Amino acid sequence: MCGVAGIARRRPVGVAAELLERMASAIRHRGPDGFGLHVDDRVGLTNARLSVIDLARGVQPMTNEDGSVFIVYNGEIFNHLALRGELEARGHLFRTRSDTEVLVHAYEQWGERMLERLNGQFAFAIYDRRAGSVFLARDRFGILPLYYAERDGDLYFASEVKALLVTGEVERALDPEGLDEIFTFWAARPPRTPFRGIRALEPGCCARWQDGRLAVRRYYALDYAEAATEPADALEALDELLRSAVRLRLQADVPVGGYLSGGIDSSIVCALAAAGSPLALRTFSVTFEDPTLDESAYQQAVAADVRSRHAVQRIGRGDIARVFPEVIRHTETPLVRTAPAPLYLLSRIVREHGIKVVLTGEGSDEVFLGYDLFKEAIIRLLCWRRPASRLPPRLLDGLYPGIAPASGKGDFWRGYFMTAGSPDDPLFSHLPRFQLTARIKDFYAAEFRAGLGPFDPLAELRARLPAGFGAWSPLARAAYLEITTLLSSYLLSSQGDRMAMAHGVEARVPYLDHRLVEFAAALPARSKLRGLREKNILRRWGEATGLLPAAVARRRKQPYRAPDVPAFFDGRPPEYVEALLDPVSLRRTGIFNPEAVAGLVRRCRAGRAEGFRENQALVAILSTELWHREFLGAPAPALVRARVAGSARVEPAPVETPAAA
Amino acid sequence: MRDETREFTPAVIADRTRAYVRENFLYMRPDWPLKDEDPLFGGGVIDSIGVIELVGFLQREFGCTLEEDEITERNLGSVAAIARFLHAKCNGGVRAA
Repeated sequence: MCGVAGIARRRPVGVAAELLERMASAIRHRGPDGFGLHVDDRVGLTNARLSVIDLARGVQPMTNEDGSVFIVYNGEIFNHLALRGELEARGHLFRTRSDTEVLVHAYEQWGERMLERLNGQFAFAIYDRRAGSVFLARDRFGILPLYYAERDGDLYFASEVKALLVTGEVERALDPEGLDEIFTFWAARPPRTPFRGIRALEPGCCARWQDGRLAVRRYYALDYAEAATEPADALEALDELLRSAVRLRLQADVPVGGYLSGGIDSSIVCALAAAGSPLALRTFSVTFEDPTLDESAYQQAVAADVRSRHAVQRIGRGDIARVFPEVIRHTETPLVRTAPAPLYLLSRIVREHGIKVVLTGEGSDEVFLGYDLFKEAIIRLLCWRRPASRLPPRLLDGLYPGIAPASGKGDFWRGYFMTAGSPDDPLFSHLPRFQLTARIKDFYAAEFRAGLGPFDPLAELRARLPAGFGAWSPLARAAYLEITTLLSSYLLSSQGDRMAMAHGVEARVPYLDHRLVEFAAALPARSKLRGLREKNILRRWGEATGLLPAAVARRRKQPYRAPDVPAFFDGRPPEYVEALLDPVSLRRTGIFNPEAVAGLVRRCRAGRAEGFRENQALVAILSTELWHREFLGAPAPALVRARVAGSARVEPAPVETPAAA
Repeated sequence: MRDETREFTPAVIADRTRAYVRENFLYMRPDWPLKDEDPLFGGGVIDSIGVIELVGFLQREFGCTLEEDEITERNLGSVAAIARFLHAKCNGGVRAA
């Protein structure tokens, strides 16, 4: 995995190598193993490389035989060997073993249609010198990031926003609507970002820049053509897909490790990876000092079961607060949870153990309907259909034990959920979450709220749902919303790629192999959520194969959580917290109402800010202020110069003359 | 039940509850128009954890113990409902349903 960046000029005025070096330096953490660039009169490309496949010769930018096609590429094409065979059969000559070169030839052979053939996680830019075009593409589910900005017909693109900002040619400004989306969905909805004028290429989309114009199009769309009944061979098909998805993701010229959460998804991945690895698998887990969040007993049981060499990152008092500013520097977006922070610390120990690649269980909850939100949606539907029944409140009691007071709270839940919205609303499944998250906006400064005018993120989302959405089942609609509003833009990004790449670790996600996603999407919903039993088919597979470690086989889904308010207010908060929440500082930023924040701080100090609403508000406010200070404050030229000076320059290596990284 | 709870009139209960809700659940929205009959839960003033906090306050402030089956929307769903329920419970000695 790597970081990529580049600039394409509408007029042939050239791209300064120094500018590209500055961009590459900004994302050096993504690729500490090598650095290369190409510049000509129109286009400059650069790449910071993390060597995983063909360590010596996979240097980028890479070109085709005649130097007419250049690529900078971040990611892995897991079926690159099969594609290579196909391309060789068509006469393409390969000089390296790298998947990067497969992309170059695939582009020559199939043009943009190449994307349909890729099984992988990727974000890349291909400069077609003859056509004078730059082709950008991002994988189907947005596992890897790609951002871009346009100015006077020039195109700027990069794996991370910070590489765009250091050019000095891309505006540093807040997009209030992007922020308002974060405080609705947990993350801005691509292409929107919290930065004005900077856009995220949407998952499953590609774009071509030519003659100063950028045309974006979707090449992949999720579909839920659910079968009426489960196919007789569903378990065999799942078995083959799971094994293949993991096997393909074990390909690397470096050792591959695994994240173990203690749930069934990562346990399955690690069990399959351990079975497919010649050496003992290395596994890694986050553990918490707080016993209500800790899952270490399950993690250790699974590690013993799959016979891995297991290492843990224990999160204790003060750890999250200490690294939170660094976390925000990497997420490049405000957050509503601190949950990414422990994963930032985890990737650090992964790297310290000499591992560059880890497999994770991300994606399974969306694909196999693991979240409580899906169950909640079913019970809420029941509330609407059988308003007099005592059953739905009892089911809600069972779903959320310990959240509201004692028993009898189901009535409260019913009242709460019935007012959230009716099943006629296409966003029905997610309205309680969206509405709860939106309570962060209660803390807006009046001027900021007024500046947003009539902007309504929910109305925008409703207007952009795909054509077939209304015909899908309620659970298919819920899964689609979960994948498009949370998985891609928050879990895979802020909690995924960004936290792993902060320490140069590549996270691979077998459950998001598109073949597996499509297989699961075509199953009837009850194959996944049977009654209120989540991930049903995955559990049945585990029972049939004996591959699901016994310790977790019957375990109910436990959401991954990290402390929010207590991370900062367990004792005296760190100095930066006090400074950022100071009324003078808040007034300068102008987003939140200092009096309202003072009320929140008072309750945090008194240990009374215990509900979701105040926990998310504190994290949102604090992370927004950190984000603002980091990215929208004045740039520090001395720091930028120091970073550039520290980076070694490696000239690009065309494939004809392989060079050591 | 303590004897002093008999001193709390519905108006006193409503005033203190309203002030508590404003200070603890609406401090970030001082402009929120909270009328005594407005719903506290479905209306978004108090979330699920807030219910626990509110019950704790009512027990401390008015010196009475709320049974589990009394924690219902009918009894606690608005400032006015709380005032009616607590006044009846404390003065009548009869458990309100």
